[in-house]
Amino acid sequence: MSIQFKTIQQLREMLDKKVISSEELINETLKLAEDLKDLNCFVTMNEDASIEKAKKIDQAERVDSTLSGIPLAQKDLFCTEGLRTTCSSKILSNFIPPYTATAVKKLESAGSITIGKTNMDEFAMGSSNETSYFGNVHNPWKKGYVPGGSSGGSAAAVAAGIVPAATGTDTGGSIRQPAAHCGITGIKPTYGRVSRWGMIAFASSLDQAGPLARSAEDCAILLNEMSGHDSKDTTSLDIESKDLLHTINQPIKGLKIGIVKEFSLDDLDSEVQNCFEDSKKLYETLGAEFIEISLPNISASVPTYYSIAPAECSSNLSRFDGVRFGHRAENVEDLNDLYIKSRSEGFGDEVKRRILIGTYALSAGYYDAYYKKAQQVRRLIKNDFELAFESIDLIMTPTSPGTAFAFGSKGAQNPIELYLEDLFTISSNLAGLPAISIPHGKVNSLPAGLQLVGNFLREDQILNAAHIFQQNSEFHLKKPSMEEF
Amino acid sequence: MDQETVRTICYLARLQIDADKAQKIENDLETIIEMIGGLKEFDTENVQPLYSPLEKTAFMHEDTENSDNQKEKFLKNAAASNEDYFLVPRVVE
Repeated sequence: MSIQFKTIQQLREMLDKKVISSEELINETLKLAEDLKDLNCFVTMNEDASIEKAKKIDQAERVDSTLSGIPLAQKDLFCTEGLRTTCSSKILSNFIPPYTATAVKKLESAGSITIGKTNMDEFAMGSSNETSYFGNVHNPWKKGYVPGGSSGGSAAAVAAGIVPAATGTDTGGSIRQPAAHCGITGIKPTYGRVSRWGMIAFASSLDQAGPLARSAEDCAILLNEMSGHDSKDTTSLDIESKDLLHTINQPIKGLKIGIVKEFSLDDLDSEVQNCFEDSKKLYETLGAEFIEISLPNISASVPTYYSIAPAECSSNLSRFDGVRFGHRAENVEDLNDLYIKSRSEGFGDEVKRRILIGTYALSAGYYDAYYKKAQQVRRLIKNDFELAFESIDLIMTPTSPGTAFAFGSKGAQNPIELYLEDLFTISSNLAGLPAISIPHGKVNSLPAGLQLVGNFLREDQILNAAHIFQQNSEFHLKKPSMEEF
Repeated sequence: MDQETVRTICYLARLQIDADKAQKIENDLETIIEMIGGLKEFDTENVQPLYSPLEKTAFMHEDTENSDNQKEKFLKNAAASNEDYFLVPRVVE
């Protein structure tokens, strides 16, 4: 029986009924990854260690975790002890972390098996996976098309059915947008829900880890394990984590869904609009109520983000200097020259561009006008959400203005063209809110995503709404033909 | 955004831009800074900056020793080190 396109729960059943052993499952998964290597969704495989762990699980007397023996892929931005972690950058192309990120450790402690590290936009900076030092990832639905980004490798690996789920990180939409472009489900939790310890930082006040999977239910299974306080991360929330599966199947009658007045869909492809209207109708038949809300400062989200995120990136990426880890330039004149050459050789163009914007925004004379101003506008955006959530339970938008596009077709002349990919996703990072993307139709034969944004710490509510949608539709069950690969 | 400003930012960021890419970078930065400049249209008088969505960060914990000496593990990733230190080009003559 093929293991391709199986969910976590289907694989669990196969393992429990001994249809397949854990070792066989891992071998099949690794073979699938090898057969589909043209997708380029993996940077590094973890063959020996994963087979070894699978053998141990097979020898164990009883299975006491849902994830025991389940293969997962980790975005190559989570540090994994002894397993190369590159952030898809030349500067970290030889980096072997001495420790494992808390989020990954929690998943592995629950019995899951890391089969490899997935390709991504360099340092998570991008929305198309085209900034990776290790090359483009193909969208499983169409060769030569982007999978979205930055968690493009994770999304492609799940969409191609290699693994049932993968980890991602989301700073401005990097879980939700690739999930939408690849026709799968991905959730960005509330800021502080999942530990950031061991995640290589891009923008520390925006970054948050979360799962990508074939259903909302599988996302809930993974998020249950990933969540929780971590004393090693000072921004990790010290609160009890609810069991997200407990409430996932509740009826949604009476659920109040906000539609943002300022997000005009008129400029979008008519098929994107149709998908959105159809999803609204489905929710209405399930008993949800739609209410128009106003987020008056939402148009400031993209400029606010492109001031704050590069500023934090320029600070975080100052640690890459060729001294303690990562690429080190040769033939240097002095220490300063070592820094400049190591960084200039090691970083790609998009990363350099963002470091430079951030350095400018933080430099003397410009700090108040750009960085401080953006943080003030950020508060206005957060206040707008707080007010809106007084009358609604969640907000619904398309995840992305369009669907996957051909390699090289966006952003080459003007980077802002690509930055607008994150138009609908960025604001929840600025406000720290949880948000999920679920597939809800096709536009020009490519998957389109629906985004549900929840109130602070209300992952339970968006997962519930997403699950009920999936119980009443089949978009999440669609599979790419994979004939081109 | 002129060439001199770009040169200064590059120095502050310890980055060198290839000559053939300088004009493109200059144009891109100009475009992006102009977009960010649009924020001045938003009234933020008496609005406190929001540096983190949680507002309260930096939880405190007991200052206790909780790991072994991992010097060797950490030195292993350096391109140049001796048994105790990371090595860099000479900085003091």
